[in-house]
Amino acid sequence: MEEEVFEDDETNTPLSGRTVTRILQQVVPYWKLVIFFLSLVVLITISDSIFTYFGKLLVDDAIIPRDPVALRSILTNFAILSIISAGIVFGFIFITGLLGEKVRYDLRRKLFHHLQELTFSYFDKTAVGWIMSRVTSDTERIADLVTWGLLDVVWGITSVLVATGFMLFINWRLALLVMITIPLLVGVAYYFRRLILTQFREVRRINSKITGAYNENITGVRVTKSLAREDKDLTEFQKLTGMMFNASYRANVLSAMFLPAVQFISALGVAAVIFYGGLLALRGETTVGQIQAFIGYVTFMIWPVQEMARVFAQMQQSIASGERVFSLLDAVPEVMDKPGALETAHLEGDILFDDVTFYYEKDKPVLRNFNLRVRPGDTIALVGPTGGGKSTIVNLLCRFYEPKDGRILFGEHDYTDLTQHAIQSRIGMVLQTPHLFSGTIRENLRYGRLDATDDELVDAARLAGAHDFIVTLENGYDEQVGEGGSKLSVGQKQLISLARAILADPDLFIMDEATSSVDTLTEALIQRGMETMMEGRTSFVIAHRLSTIKRASRILVIEDGRIAEQGTHAELIRAGGHYYNLYTRQFRREREVALGITN
Amino acid sequence: MTTDLDLKSTLSKRRIVGMWRMLTGYRAIFVGAFLCVGLAAVCQTVFYYLLRYFTDDVLGVEGMRHMLPWVAAGFLGLAVAQGVFTFMGGRWAAKTSESVIRRLRDYLYDHVQRLTFAYHDKTPTGDLIQRSTSDVDTLRRFFGEESIGLGRIVMLFIVNFTALLTLNVRLALISVVVVPLVVAISIYFFRKIGQRYEVFQEEEAKLSTTLQENLSGVRVVRAFARQEYEREKFEVTNRGRYVSGRRLLLLHAIYWPTTDVLVGVQLVIGYAVGAGMAIDGTITVGTFLAYMGMLTWIMWPIRNIGRLIVQMSMALVSFDRVSEIIRVDREPLDVGTHRPGGRIKGEIVFDDVRFAYSEEMAVLNGINFRAEPGQVVALVGPTGSGKTSLVNLLPRFYEYQGSIRIDGVELRDYTRRDLREQIGFVLQEPFLFSRTIKENIMYGVHREVTDEDVYRAAKAAAVHDVILRFPQGYETVVGEKGVTLSGGQKQRVTLARTLLKDPAILILDDATSSVDTETEAAIRDALEELMPGRTTFIIAHRLQTVMNADLILVLDKGRIVQHGTHDELLTQEGTYRRIYDLQSQIEDELEEDLAAVTATPVQPTF
Repeated sequence: MEEEVFEDDETNTPLSGRTVTRILQQVVPYWKLVIFFLSLVVLITISDSIFTYFGKLLVDDAIIPRDPVALRSILTNFAILSIISAGIVFGFIFITGLLGEKVRYDLRRKLFHHLQELTFSYFDKTAVGWIMSRVTSDTERIADLVTWGLLDVVWGITSVLVATGFMLFINWRLALLVMITIPLLVGVAYYFRRLILTQFREVRRINSKITGAYNENITGVRVTKSLAREDKDLTEFQKLTGMMFNASYRANVLSAMFLPAVQFISALGVAAVIFYGGLLALRGETTVGQIQAFIGYVTFMIWPVQEMARVFAQMQQSIASGERVFSLLDAVPEVMDKPGALETAHLEGDILFDDVTFYYEKDKPVLRNFNLRVRPGDTIALVGPTGGGKSTIVNLLCRFYEPKDGRILFGEHDYTDLTQHAIQSRIGMVLQTPHLFSGTIRENLRYGRLDATDDELVDAARLAGAHDFIVTLENGYDEQVGEGGSKLSVGQKQLISLARAILADPDLFIMDEATSSVDTLTEALIQRGMETMMEGRTSFVIAHRLSTIKRASRILVIEDGRIAEQGTHAELIRAGGHYYNLYTRQFRREREVALGITN
Repeated sequence: MTTDLDLKSTLSKRRIVGMWRMLTGYRAIFVGAFLCVGLAAVCQTVFYYLLRYFTDDVLGVEGMRHMLPWVAAGFLGLAVAQGVFTFMGGRWAAKTSESVIRRLRDYLYDHVQRLTFAYHDKTPTGDLIQRSTSDVDTLRRFFGEESIGLGRIVMLFIVNFTALLTLNVRLALISVVVVPLVVAISIYFFRKIGQRYEVFQEEEAKLSTTLQENLSGVRVVRAFARQEYEREKFEVTNRGRYVSGRRLLLLHAIYWPTTDVLVGVQLVIGYAVGAGMAIDGTITVGTFLAYMGMLTWIMWPIRNIGRLIVQMSMALVSFDRVSEIIRVDREPLDVGTHRPGGRIKGEIVFDDVRFAYSEEMAVLNGINFRAEPGQVVALVGPTGSGKTSLVNLLPRFYEYQGSIRIDGVELRDYTRRDLREQIGFVLQEPFLFSRTIKENIMYGVHREVTDEDVYRAAKAAAVHDVILRFPQGYETVVGEKGVTLSGGQKQRVTLARTLLKDPAILILDDATSSVDTETEAAIRDALEELMPGRTTFIIAHRLQTVMNADLILVLDKGRIVQHGTHDELLTQEGTYRRIYDLQSQIEDELEEDLAAVTATPVQPTF
């Protein structure tokens, strides 16, 4: 489904030699297999031609001279060749297929490994569905091209050459006559394939619209029903299926024409053989067996030509796949470990933002000359309007991005001198939208620390306030959470992600708007877990709930990429500035109502 | 149009019958397609008869030279005839399948949007989409290509075998001795291939789930520095997929040469007997040549029979999966004895209302309350207490027990269409369609509206200025292929949509919880615009949203545990008070802080 949506960029990519070379390079590690299967293919074309030749021998050497001994020896050879050819067929199917599996496996592995290196800036601008299509369907197409595609082309070319060779050997005059049809055959086949391909591209385009329509129809069904929109929606959809009918019918009619067209050309060849062969036979210059073999070779010729036409027509699509896959592999991660970067066990000392400037797009700075020193154990609350730069500060801190200017220090180290692993493995994070992986609750908790014992697991869950609900589940800690945690409520997922962070026992704890989408009672629970977590641990908190913010050792009001104001809760309230305004604005009115009622 | 046939009437216990019925209206050309394919096979066979004539009576026979051009022309003529028949067969099959599938697509689209909420609740969307797209496509391929392929194979076999019988009965019978064996092996192998293919598909699905979770959870992966762990996880699935692919491959690699050998054996037997007869003079050389050709066209279909069995069984599985959807009953939109005639007033009475999604789990258990026209009713309570279920009963999204009356008339007597046109919903997760903002706002109205009406609704929803800031304004397309709106912006567009619809009953299901505080305030203002003159239901977590309600219902485990106004409920011990205390404690503290730092009491800022 997603694949369909992201296939739009498949239009006319020019055949790029570099991409073709790179696609072919994928099989270089297995060059022995390639040579092996290609040799088998050549052998199979030769054996195909010999089979046809046996027919000639049967007629000319056994039947017409009425020679049973010759018949026996021909059939014995025929049987032996059948067995040899079966062996070859086994070999090339298995080896070609295996090569395909290997190429696919390698490509997917490379892509996945590379994806683990890429930085957030890449994921920010690239849709998950797009990446998925690259890893699943594009690798498939590339693997097919370098295996079955290559096989078909080699088979096609050698088949034509070998059959021509046999014909020349059998009767060169007839052969020369027949050879005239070959370019015609190839030309017509290629022309038709191109035509059909273009038409099917239109079909695919409409089809992705239809898939999109279904997708919206089904995911939005509740809205459609509550607005009683069914009739209009159907009318609109019928326009799409009408277009689809026209395009698809046209494409299929073209396809239905393909085989008759090439067969007609090969029939021209057969007619020529019959006519000219008949004339030659009258002069005793050819035999029945020869004519029969020629008919065999000529009618057979349409298959290799058809296959080659198919491969060449599809090649463009495979090359487009290759280009997209390589563009992903070539994407350079913006954050990389320096050579010889330090792998420290703990993050120690003050955290210092030293004159940090950062932007996502060059002309729109998000942080400007930002300075901040945080002592171990401090809790820093970041508040301020959306888009002010709060999340950016946290992302820089985690080194998901690096400063464009200035530096960030952990203790005495500029953090670019450390490995990413040294930093990120010491961070615990709870996000606004909790993300769980499919599997059990236990597996999800263990994501925080892979070697945690069951007791430690339960302790962490208790601290987070998750234990109580977990034990009410049918399978307790071994309950499956479903894809993306879909079997749990948002609040429950948040409690588990909190427990996961607690289990990691990080040096630095980061929380990003973690309670905004849960009900009040769950919120209180999460709140308590967080407080446990933050105690004595350097923490950064983005929140709009006062209770969390108030406990911070320092509150930073971030506006337009700068610290507009900072201090403790009491100090800021007293100052009567941004913070004071922010919160009185937010809470005053409802407070008024409440006071009015309780008084 | 194409939906004149109710596909439900085509369903049958026997799948083949069901498929046949699905072809209603196109059966003639479908059968025509088969006939064409058969005629093409006949041409193929006549070719060999002509070859026999050519060999025995023209070639090398003195005085027959003048026949050569005629024979050559005969071969060409046959090729043309065969081509025309093949083409017509393909064309008619395409016409059949494309028409039938178009009808099926339209039907499914409409059917799915007319199924009940209860059905959609328990059916994963991915599964429904899968059935509507790829299963339908499997059927399309079956009707258009595979069934014709099957017809071709059957016809080739029958025609050539019959022709062989007329050539020589003994020869004909000898030529099919390995056929039962090949068929048996094909069936065996392709059943196995089918099984391994399923395993292979599962592995592929696992791989894409692993990948998808890794990508969508990229923040978690990075935050815990678990790249190595993820690589290993992917390695396991990638390897599993590789191994299952190899196992599948092995079967193919064994099947084809095995049948090759059997076919080889058949050819050797056939040639031995045939050539022997030719040497004896029992048959002519021409007959032997014709025989060789026909034998090829008997063996070719036999070898492909297994593949067709698989395609056929895949098509049947897809047909079943599609039929399962068609079989489900639609929810009638226009059935009802009471037509209100105009706008309803909005007096609502719940009388011992009970409701359950499944038999063992009661979601609502004896709900009683009354709302006067224009009143605001707030629903409060923990997740799963039945708040959303309660409001979902009003447009008859679900069937209930007990009695619900609007303006004194039982809900069941209204048509669903009337109810839904008079009730407006604003949900927690705003849903917009991939079309322009203007179309989205107009999406719910069935009357003519002017641009001015749309602007007015957008202004009231506090989103007009936001929209004008987009380069294309109201013509901006939202969604995947267009502009991404923030949660708050989306919510305000759905508000405008509801405003324009102008419903008599308004339901706000947690409409402001997923937006930031600024936006929340803007939305709340817009909501206040929206509520007067309508009976309104509000579901909310934040009490400040519900304080002004005329009636607050506190739900717990499907029952109303407390009801009254904010004032009344605060004086009672209970859930409401507990939630209130939790929420106001913070504000109390703030108030104290403010009081502590300012000498004079704080003046409201607005």
